[in-house]
Amino acid sequence: MRPPALDLPIMFIDVRITAGAVTILDGVTLTISPGMPTVLIGPNGAGKTTLLRAAMGLVPPSSGLVTWGGRESSDPKHRAIMFQRPAMLRRSAGGNVRYALAAAGMPRSKRHERATALLSEVGLTGLDHRPARRLSGGEQQRLALARALARDPGILFLDEPTASLDPAATKAIEDIVRAVSARGVKVVMCTHDLGQAKRLAGNVVLMHRGRLIENTPAAQFFATPRTEEARKFVAGELLV
Amino acid sequence: MFNRRMLIAAVAAAAVLSGGPVLAQYKSIVVSSTTSTQDSGLFGHILPLFKQKTGIDVKVIAQGTGQALDTGRRGDADVVFVHAKSAEEKFLAEGQGVKRYPVMYNDFVLIGPKSDPAGVKGMKDITKALQMIKDKQAPFISRGDRSGTHLAELALWNKNAGIDIEKDKGPWYKSIGQGMGAALNTASASNAYVLSDRGTWISFKNKGDLAIAVEGDKLLFNQYGVMLVNPEKHPNVKKDLGQQFIDWLVSPEGQKAIANYKINGEQLFYPNADDHSA
Repeated sequence: MRPPALDLPIMFIDVRITAGAVTILDGVTLTISPGMPTVLIGPNGAGKTTLLRAAMGLVPPSSGLVTWGGRESSDPKHRAIMFQRPAMLRRSAGGNVRYALAAAGMPRSKRHERATALLSEVGLTGLDHRPARRLSGGEQQRLALARALARDPGILFLDEPTASLDPAATKAIEDIVRAVSARGVKVVMCTHDLGQAKRLAGNVVLMHRGRLIENTPAAQFFATPRTEEARKFVAGELLV
Repeated sequence: MFNRRMLIAAVAAAAVLSGGPVLAQYKSIVVSSTTSTQDSGLFGHILPLFKQKTGIDVKVIAQGTGQALDTGRRGDADVVFVHAKSAEEKFLAEGQGVKRYPVMYNDFVLIGPKSDPAGVKGMKDITKALQMIKDKQAPFISRGDRSGTHLAELALWNKNAGIDIEKDKGPWYKSIGQGMGAALNTASASNAYVLSDRGTWISFKNKGDLAIAVEGDKLLFNQYGVMLVNPEKHPNVKKDLGQQFIDWLVSPEGQKAIANYKINGEQLFYPNADDHSA
């Protein structure tokens, strides 16, 4: 059990993020509060990844306000992010995790034990010495998750953690996400998999063309979507 | 040294030139408040909204209600925002505060099976009730999800009943790490006790064999009030900015911001600024 993460809630108030002439996020107001996972869904280019990066603190808003637990700047030492295509370091699986532990400031004497525990948490026990780049796609994704967990984050951002994984590998990731969430880590993830959103989400945030369309508790989102866009999206119609 | 001074001067000049208006307008107040408003994340939710609207930065000192009022008494805060009506009224009577405004409340009830294995039904003392549940090892479901309700439950065990629940819990105490609805469902299925906020209990459909066992203990009821620290006693109090914060809290906009703060879809605080008896 951990106390509520000091970085929560994360608030977006009228946040705009532009790149040149392109508006990526357009007036997004959103509260990411503690509790069950927040799942971002929406078509490609909707702004999900940018929203995730802004919540991590990697991209400053062009206008508007992002705050963590009420503060306008916050050292991201209690937040971790896993990108959609994680890069594996050219070393063993264990070496990848130990590197992340070193980067998080853990003393050398403790890294080995902790790395072993993290590998076991993501179901990679015994693959410690395997070169990371020889792991399967699903295993690499789980290794990336172990690295993200290395800094023992209070908030974990996952950018499509199961894109292009098969059902078994997807389930393995979802089980880890569920376990991590149950021990009090706030998970914020984006996905294209509506089934996954249903399985994991506490609340669902639908993005479209840089705008926030709907932010609703998951059960309500799938049963009685408030907006036409959400209804279409849930019904499997193309949202373009 | 000279070089460093030059550098500092240059940086300062640049800051004034580029950010001049911002520096000139930087406005902030200090609010002395309780840990519940801070830990529940409510401040993290409403203060950025207030800042966006007014440009006023609110610095929060979160302590127990008594300490929070003492901070006000020393003049170390502009506004106090706490939940202990009698202590607040004493604060006013001492001339330390200007006026008390009710802001919001939350209220918890202990739910249990009608068969009442711990024999606590109808008790008015939640502390004794919890001690009896532990003594009889009656099943108890804990949210275990760090929600406001869960934190309130932990405080009742640890602080009020004097039971270190992490250490003393047995198989009778089950932490499920889920929302209020799930906790009530689990309690219903396993004939267990559970602490719930009243709102969720009222709207809970699967009551089954459950009923309210203990309610009405003042430990279960939190009315929050806000007061400006008296500028006549403490001339350094930022009277106008502090009052602006209070006015916003009790305005329809501030009240809506409070109502909108939810965890797992569950509202934590109920605005009631219009209830002048609260």
